[in-house]
Amino acid sequence: MHIPDGFLDPLVSLSLYVISLAIVIYSGRKYFKEGGSVYYLSVMAAAIFAAQMLNWPIPGGTSAHFVGGAFASIFLGPFGACLAMFMNLVVQCLLMGDGGITALGANAFNMAVVDVFAGYAIYKASLKYLGRKFLAAFLGGWIGITLAAVTCGFELGLSPSFGYPLSITVPVMGIWHLALGVIEGIATGLLVKYLSLRGLIK
Amino acid sequence: MRKSYIAIIILVLISPLFGVIGANIVGYREPLDLAAEIIGIEESEPLWRGILPDYTVPGLPDELGYIVAGFVGVFILLLPALIKRGKVEGNR
Repeated sequence: MHIPDGFLDPLVSLSLYVISLAIVIYSGRKYFKEGGSVYYLSVMAAAIFAAQMLNWPIPGGTSAHFVGGAFASIFLGPFGACLAMFMNLVVQCLLMGDGGITALGANAFNMAVVDVFAGYAIYKASLKYLGRKFLAAFLGGWIGITLAAVTCGFELGLSPSFGYPLSITVPVMGIWHLALGVIEGIATGLLVKYLSLRGLIK
Repeated sequence: MRKSYIAIIILVLISPLFGVIGANIVGYREPLDLAAEIIGIEESEPLWRGILPDYTVPGLPDELGYIVAGFVGVFILLLPALIKRGKVEGNR
């Protein structure tokens, strides 16, 4: 889901830089003001980075990888998760060239904002109404990554330089990740279940 | 927390199985790079290639480079935790 350079319209790119940075800064301040731990933040960012290196190869020449925004938000809360995901994206972009430098704002918006906050909201709501942690985390991970992909589709579709209209980019990104996102959901569910059995997630 | 370090190290060590070997078997390409090629966007000139472009280390085979690049990334992200722990232990 990492958008490279050259795909996004400069206006889309720039506005998402501004929006994402504002949300990340706000989240970071809130996380630390509420006594968030540097230690957990840093370990989570590193764990997400490592997990994202495991591409699941899918016959047909494509792949997907765990994104982890929903998982991070369930563990750290959405504000810490937003910052952890952003740290990961900055290292991926600057160190590995994974995700274009002009698209960092957009990638942050999809994976550090949409996946994190939507995933968290879905987890919380599902937990309240369904009462099952695995199921709630599954839904958070699955729908979170799908919404992030839909957002990515919007960004690409709104960029004339990409050459495909919204009517194609949004359904393609959305449907593809709705299918692949099941794996994200299962991984999120298992991780949350495991950590809650160990008392690390309330 | 020691367990999470071990988990991270294991993830990096097995990552080439997925990110390099598995990817070669199925002929993996980053989906968005593939899209660029189809619609003819010049993806060959990114503004910034990265210090270890696409998780490779110059002079190392891809599998090993992927692991080394992984540890470099993990180390940078773990720095705040390591510094924090150093401080706590230093205060004792």
